Amino acid sequence: MLPKPETSPTTNIRKKKMSQSVKDNITGYIFVSPFFILFSIFGLFPMIFSFYLAFFKWNGLGPMTFAGLDNFRIIFADALFWKSIYNTVMIGLLGTVPQLIVAFLLAYALNSQVVKFRNTFRVAIFMPYVTSIVAVAILFSIVFNNQSFGLVNSIIGLFGYDPIVFTQSEWGAKIAIASMIFWRWIGYNTIIYLAGMQSISNELYEAAKMDGANLFQQLRYITIPVLKPFILFTVFMGTIGSLQVFTEPLIFFNGNLRPEGITVVAYLYRDAFESNFFGTASATAIVLFVLIMIFSLINLLFTNRVGRSKKRGASA
Amino acid sequence: MKKWWKQAAVGVGLMTMLAGCSDGESASTPKDGKVVLDMWVFGTTGYDELAKAYMEENPDVQIKVQSTEMGDHHNNLFTALSAGKGAPDIAMIEVGEIERYRDAKDRFTNLNDLGAKDLQANYLDWVWNVGSSSDGEFVYGLPTDIGPTAMYYRKDVVEAAGYPTDPAELASTLATWADYTKFAEEVKAKTGKPVVDNAELIFNAKRDQASEHYFNRDNELIVEENAEIRAAYDYTAELIQKGTVGNMPLWTPEWGQGMADGSYATLLGPAWMQGVVKGNAPDAAGNWLVTTMPEGAGNWGGSYLTIPKESEYSEEAYEFISWLLTPDNQLNSFKDMGLFPSTPETYEKEEFKSYTDEYFGGINTAQVFADAAAQVVDVYKGKNYLLVQGEIMMALDNVLNSGGDPDKEWNDAMDRIKQRLERE
Amino acid sequence: MYSLLIFAALVSLFPFYWMFVMATQPNHVINQTPPALLPGKELVTNFQNVLANIDFFGAMWNSFVVSTAVTVGSLFLCSLAGFAFAKLKFKGKNVLFVLILVTMMIPPQLGLIPTYYIITKLGWLSDLRAIIVPGLINAFGIFWMRQYIKEAIPDELIEAARIDGCSTFRIYWNIVTPAILPAFATLGIIVFMNVWNDFLWPLVVLQDQSTHTLQVALRALNDSYSRDYGMILSGTFWATVPLIIVFLLFNKAFISSLTQGAVKS
Repeated sequence: MLPKPETSPTTNIRKKKMSQSVKDNITGYIFVSPFFILFSIFGLFPMIFSFYLAFFKWNGLGPMTFAGLDNFRIIFADALFWKSIYNTVMIGLLGTVPQLIVAFLLAYALNSQVVKFRNTFRVAIFMPYVTSIVAVAILFSIVFNNQSFGLVNSIIGLFGYDPIVFTQSEWGAKIAIASMIFWRWIGYNTIIYLAGMQSISNELYEAAKMDGANLFQQLRYITIPVLKPFILFTVFMGTIGSLQVFTEPLIFFNGNLRPEGITVVAYLYRDAFESNFFGTASATAIVLFVLIMIFSLINLLFTNRVGRSKKRGASA
Repeated sequence: MKKWWKQAAVGVGLMTMLAGCSDGESASTPKDGKVVLDMWVFGTTGYDELAKAYMEENPDVQIKVQSTEMGDHHNNLFTALSAGKGAPDIAMIEVGEIERYRDAKDRFTNLNDLGAKDLQANYLDWVWNVGSSSDGEFVYGLPTDIGPTAMYYRKDVVEAAGYPTDPAELASTLATWADYTKFAEEVKAKTGKPVVDNAELIFNAKRDQASEHYFNRDNELIVEENAEIRAAYDYTAELIQKGTVGNMPLWTPEWGQGMADGSYATLLGPAWMQGVVKGNAPDAAGNWLVTTMPEGAGNWGGSYLTIPKESEYSEEAYEFISWLLTPDNQLNSFKDMGLFPSTPETYEKEEFKSYTDEYFGGINTAQVFADAAAQVVDVYKGKNYLLVQGEIMMALDNVLNSGGDPDKEWNDAMDRIKQRLERE
Repeated sequence: MYSLLIFAALVSLFPFYWMFVMATQPNHVINQTPPALLPGKELVTNFQNVLANIDFFGAMWNSFVVSTAVTVGSLFLCSLAGFAFAKLKFKGKNVLFVLILVTMMIPPQLGLIPTYYIITKLGWLSDLRAIIVPGLINAFGIFWMRQYIKEAIPDELIEAARIDGCSTFRIYWNIVTPAILPAFATLGIIVFMNVWNDFLWPLVVLQDQSTHTLQVALRALNDSYSRDYGMILSGTFWATVPLIIVFLLFNKAFISSLTQGAVKS
């Protein structure tokens, strides 16, 4: 009998690696499958259904009649549809960009070791996220009231200007809706930035300080690079979120959506649930979906480039 | 950390347990041979109390009354009817909402098949017609309450304008809309206040006196050619341009506050607005009065009780609702909850005739609204009624707040209406 | 820095304070302009009105069950999937991940009727499972967990555990979950609050009053023809209080786990 040749350690490792990759494949699928199973039941079917509906006329109760591309023709010919896209983008920019900057500053302040009562401040700033939308609605209807006694109008009045009819003002309506978004989400984004900042150890800053880096340099070379995934995340979520803004305009207009502040989802909602025109509503949803994809891609390309140039800057 | 996970595990256990438990309570399963009727209503109807009385007389029937906020109620009902499952045995539908079910006869039980024809004579004609198909063959629901409109007015403001404050006298002084215009100018000159709270109510008041509104009975859009609607629009625009229309939209805080302060002279509202006025202006007792409005009345609000097709107990459901809505029980609903009866027989009852309301100066408000109910014009609305209404309101809003030109705003509204109706 | 924080805190807290003020006022005072800024005397009366109209505590219990179940369930599922996407190599991983991102881009409003239809087919009308199970789908949570796990857990650690003979699930359970507690705290707060405050979907499927969550029950306080804002805001205020408690609790866990992590590193 020949002695069994000893398996060389290298082949052993390779075998192990092979089986490991098979295992990885299987466990990978198992780990992500709950999401996809649930999603295919509660997400995919409704999605396919609304895609299908976009090519039909349906009032929710009667029979569906095939309409071809007619639903798309109708919405593309509607000036209000384009206006709603413009509004959505404008409100999104007004509500998100300043919000993220302020959230970053707040998180930086909350993270600072010098500040006392950090916990109290953190809880306070997160409060809007907890507050019910009912209270927000009533509050903002007073802040941005059309009458001269509204909070903003009273302030404007102090400077001798006439009150603004917010619901019918091109920019007044947008600013009012954007500030609702700003107010409601600032605490949320602050917490996310804060979570990122707290993962940076103090020693890093200490070391940077010893190297003579000023506050701005610390921000630029330590905080922002570490926070990059968090910033990407908030920008990405902010983009998707603001393209789907809907509750705020509905509240602001008290149900009577006007061209000054109607958003795409509000436009879609009005068609579907006020008039029961599910065909055009579904067509709008598809256009919106495409829009969100485009914006997300732009987002990704832009942030990737920013990230790369920063890295280059850092290595240079 | 361990503690945290323990708590989480307890939470998961709890939820599976509970989810399992709630399984048995599925709706409308007969218990001990009992027929269980699910009934969905909105607002405060007091029907649960009446249902209790009914159950005592009919021990084999159990009625579960569930009340939801009005908008949510109708959305839920629509979703259930659309999906074909989940609707109750009895569903209350508001008069404005019933229009969207005009084409959906297959989702409802035709109450004529259960004997509704025999009840028709009990109800006001116009009320009955709204709950039936154009040809009257299909009856969707039995009328519950109605909302005939009249003119609420502030005694102090009317007095300051130099007009009589007695209800009958004021009504005869303001017999026509032309009189009302003059009155509006007087009110503005003497008190600086608007004659009416907002454009919507003055437009609606005049609109409701028209014999046709936005669609004809063949569901064709006729609003553009309809001189009566255009007249209502022009009249409102004229009052706006005279500076006599307030800017206090319905249900806003300033509207409620205006009610308390007497910031406007008249409120052209329905019977159920009495409760709103009392709620918003508890200290103004005796200052608000009610009389008939110029040139007739309209209707705002009221509901129907329908039986969705999927109900397994349509006969038992019908038994109950036809009992619930008899003239006698409508009198009960009126006394308890202020629901204004849709059965003219009720108006003849002694308790109705001797009704007075101290808040409204001790007059018989019920009689004012009963007279109004008799004047309501029978009109077909159509399922896209609210869409058209919304666009006309936007036009008037633009005239009121942005100084828009009434003619241009009207034309724009007509274009928007046609654009939106293309989606149907 | 303080002035910025104090200003932000005031702006953030004011509506909450104001909700409390209105919860203590009778209805006609709420309509007043300018509005009242100091609490009134109706605190108890308003809440008694709430209790007379809805089963407040029953609904709160339902909300608690639903929110806890969805939070725990989705923290588990999201971290599991997030871990797979961050650290495991399997075919089609990137495609699947992009797919998850894409699902976030679908406007959810239109899915209402078909989803309702599915729930009726499952027989889950007026059943808390109708909220819990679809609530477990959380693309955002997976995304968030993947990002976090990618940054927080070095590959070497996983390799080392493998050499020690740990199964992948053990690695997830014993190594990954303790290391991502801050992410759990953050995501947990977000999910819990979202579920607690959601009403659009629960409103449609929870038809039976005994299954109502708080937000659904509170909407029943809006009478059709007249609104008692004092009562509505009293209900709203007391419905928010548990959220604040939850936030304060998690907030502490969040900080202690963070400091723990800092000490270790």
